Amino acid sequence: MTAPGTAPAPAGRPGGLVRTVARTHRTALALALLVLAAATAALVWLHSLTDEARAGHSACATPPTDRLPSCAAVDAITADDTYTSGLSVTVTLLSWVMFPVAAWAGGALTGRELESGTARLAWTQSVTPARWLAAKLAVPAALLTAGTGGLVLVNVWARGDADPDLAGDWYYPDVFVSTGPVAVAYALAGLALGALAGLVWRRALPAAGVALAASLLLHTFLERHREDLWPPVTRTEAGSFELPRSALQVAWADSPVNGVPLTRATFHPESHFWPLQYVESGLLLAVAAVATAGAFVLLARRLP
Amino acid sequence: MTDTAIEAAALGRRFGRRRRPALDGCSFRLPAGRVCAVVGPNGAGKSTLLALAAGLLRPTDGSITVLGQAPAASRERLAYVAQNKPLHPQLTVTGTLRLGRDLNPRRWDAGAAERIVAEGDLDPGARIRSLSGGQRTRVALALALGKRPELLLLDEPMADLDPLARHQLMATLMADAADRGTTVVMSSHVVAELEGSCDHLLLLGGGRVRLAGPLDDLLAAHTLVTGRAGDPLGPHTVVESRTTGRQLTALVRPTGPLGDGVQGDRPSLEEVVLAHLRSPDAPPLLLDAREAAV
Amino acid sequence: MSAATVGAPTAVRRFPEPRGLFLAMLRVHRSALLFWAALVAVAVGALLWALGPGADSAWAEYRASGCGGDSPNLGCDLPGPAHGRYDTVVACASGLLAVLPVLTGAWAGGALIGRELESGTARLAWTQSVTPARWLAAKLAVPALLLVPGTLVITLLHRALWASDSHLQRVLGWREWHDDSVFEANGILATAHPLAALALGVLAGLVVRRALPALAVAALAVMALVYVLDDVRPHLWPMPPGTPVLMHRHPSSHFWPLQLVETGIVLAVAALATAASFALLRRRTGAAV
Repeated sequence: MTAPGTAPAPAGRPGGLVRTVARTHRTALALALLVLAAATAALVWLHSLTDEARAGHSACATPPTDRLPSCAAVDAITADDTYTSGLSVTVTLLSWVMFPVAAWAGGALTGRELESGTARLAWTQSVTPARWLAAKLAVPAALLTAGTGGLVLVNVWARGDADPDLAGDWYYPDVFVSTGPVAVAYALAGLALGALAGLVWRRALPAAGVALAASLLLHTFLERHREDLWPPVTRTEAGSFELPRSALQVAWADSPVNGVPLTRATFHPESHFWPLQYVESGLLLAVAAVATAGAFVLLARRLP
Repeated sequence: MTDTAIEAAALGRRFGRRRRPALDGCSFRLPAGRVCAVVGPNGAGKSTLLALAAGLLRPTDGSITVLGQAPAASRERLAYVAQNKPLHPQLTVTGTLRLGRDLNPRRWDAGAAERIVAEGDLDPGARIRSLSGGQRTRVALALALGKRPELLLLDEPMADLDPLARHQLMATLMADAADRGTTVVMSSHVVAELEGSCDHLLLLGGGRVRLAGPLDDLLAAHTLVTGRAGDPLGPHTVVESRTTGRQLTALVRPTGPLGDGVQGDRPSLEEVVLAHLRSPDAPPLLLDAREAAV
Repeated sequence: MSAATVGAPTAVRRFPEPRGLFLAMLRVHRSALLFWAALVAVAVGALLWALGPGADSAWAEYRASGCGGDSPNLGCDLPGPAHGRYDTVVACASGLLAVLPVLTGAWAGGALIGRELESGTARLAWTQSVTPARWLAAKLAVPALLLVPGTLVITLLHRALWASDSHLQRVLGWREWHDDSVFEANGILATAHPLAALALGVLAGLVVRRALPALAVAALAVMALVYVLDDVRPHLWPMPPGTPVLMHRHPSSHFWPLQLVETGIVLAVAALATAASFALLRRRTGAAV
């Protein structure tokens, strides 16, 4: 088949395909890198504010005493506001990575290509549709894993042993998502759902809308049912007691038994952070795997 | 009503400062009631000229008037079918025609539009998305003709029609033009498609007008010369000359009688167009239709 | 219909031109219209349910668990299932209002304008008997006309809910009048924000001229606008001197002044974006406008 004189490319080397995907979506790539750089810079800057923010949030007294600074002086420090709102913005952005990724994957990555026929253009080059889809998924997946994972690590480092008053408790939805592997799992699930929506709808805008809606549903559902993903701890004591702040309270009941008040608290201690992260990540990766498999099956069924 | 359909004076349009202008210094006049072919190679400026005439682009130089007014003022009286036949994919054929009715409340002729759709054996309930390219062209033309335009601007209208549909639609167009005196301007790079249906020619090349005028007059102004290599072509304007062995073939615009031993034939449209396309440096020939038409 | 009247370029419709344009808009954007109708129906249904059975059962559950009396215990801070349902439904309704600006902007940039310019169907409209300026006016006016009644109905219901569930608010005070979502849903901002988003989306579509990039640009622009507004909101009405400028330090009597100032700003943004859109279209299509 090869004309004499042209060196046949070694089969199975996906470099060309990877380059093609990167080149086709270079605007998205550039934008993602820009956001990554901006978020990293913001987190490094916020980390440098930590001590000042603590000072701005400390206990105070009027007039000042030996141990407590004056309240006017503490009020004058604005670093704690900047620190808190800055952290909450980056944390929210990190936990919402799924949404733009899903809309982009449904719209630009697959939907638009099928709508405009450029997918067929690719399939009539020396690329099988399955390899085309694999490249379309693998390249963004690798970049998303690296980017989101890196940002999560920077986020964890920047928060340090942050005061929950300033940075939020571990179980705040956005904090939980943005400080563990589940952030990467959300991004990958968004990618797979988007790609599947693009292949099902084959039109850019509806696919982007459907992918976004599916991601919103998944995100909201998991946020609402996060506490059910791992068996909580129950503590029953006579009399009343208080749980530490780091406990995520699930249920509470005061019931007098034989005249003795009995308090029964169900909660997740902070040690449940990792089991909860693993279960949620596993669920999301399962969704991503099912969506990816669905996309490949759909492609295979539609084409000879 | 004016007797001029389109008049351009030093018309130019440039896209971006650095790029070569798409149209540059075009001047011509198209009388009303003609069927005009706009011919030229890819990138000659045909689509730009049609979009300017349709009032979709602002000229960067010169001016263009359509039906005696600025193109934008003639909007109701002209129809335009773009090269890629844009239609809303989510609408049905009927819905598309209703769109035409809604957007042209003062001029819509539902019968004319429906007739064109019916001739193509189209299901009125089918979505545009599900139609083939040729069927889509038919709906786009129905939308254009349903408006009962005085000037019909068609950009590569027949490119994706099968020969039968092309013949049929061309006949519909021509009958409409003849009945109602519609001026039709259609661009194409398939010259054979135009011969026999057009009576006016506009040849564009590199953004400039190369030939303009009534088809018969343009053909009459050229002679296809065959002779022996080395024969003098004298004072005539030579568009193109080629020698094959000892044989000389040339297209000239004679300014007087041809020399001895040289045979002159009337060229076909295709020969004139191809000769001009092959020699971009040949001088332009613009015949004012006003005198020639008398 | 009028095959016999060949030569007469008429078949005059009875209705005036704007109605034709209006019908054409509805026809082309039918799925968006249906989606909007469904969204309004969901929000209205949710709020009506919360106003009636939802609030009743939440309150009944609260009383049944021994709370609301003289000796509340710690468990009274935690909602039971009925209150959880109530809370979810109310959060869904006000959440719909909160995402509406971004949705509107994204749709306006992508489907309303960007896709039409990208695929050429805008030119199709401009070569019917519709000038580009009228086309743009219809693109802005028809969605605006449909948005306003929907958001107003949701706002009125939300206000009714806010007025009626005060006992639930008091005991489980989770939502305050100055929370961003409550503040917006209770006033004309719930209407003003989507209108500004519509204008910004249209401008983004005209500038970018491609569906997906315009969608992204519009969504980002609207999110930025909403974020900035949330941030500057406490500064929009003067506080007594010496008081820190924070939203929860405003007395609730500042509700309407704050609403009106912000609405003015938002509508000014919308007007600027609209003017820029018309200017851009005029520049691009020349005397055609």
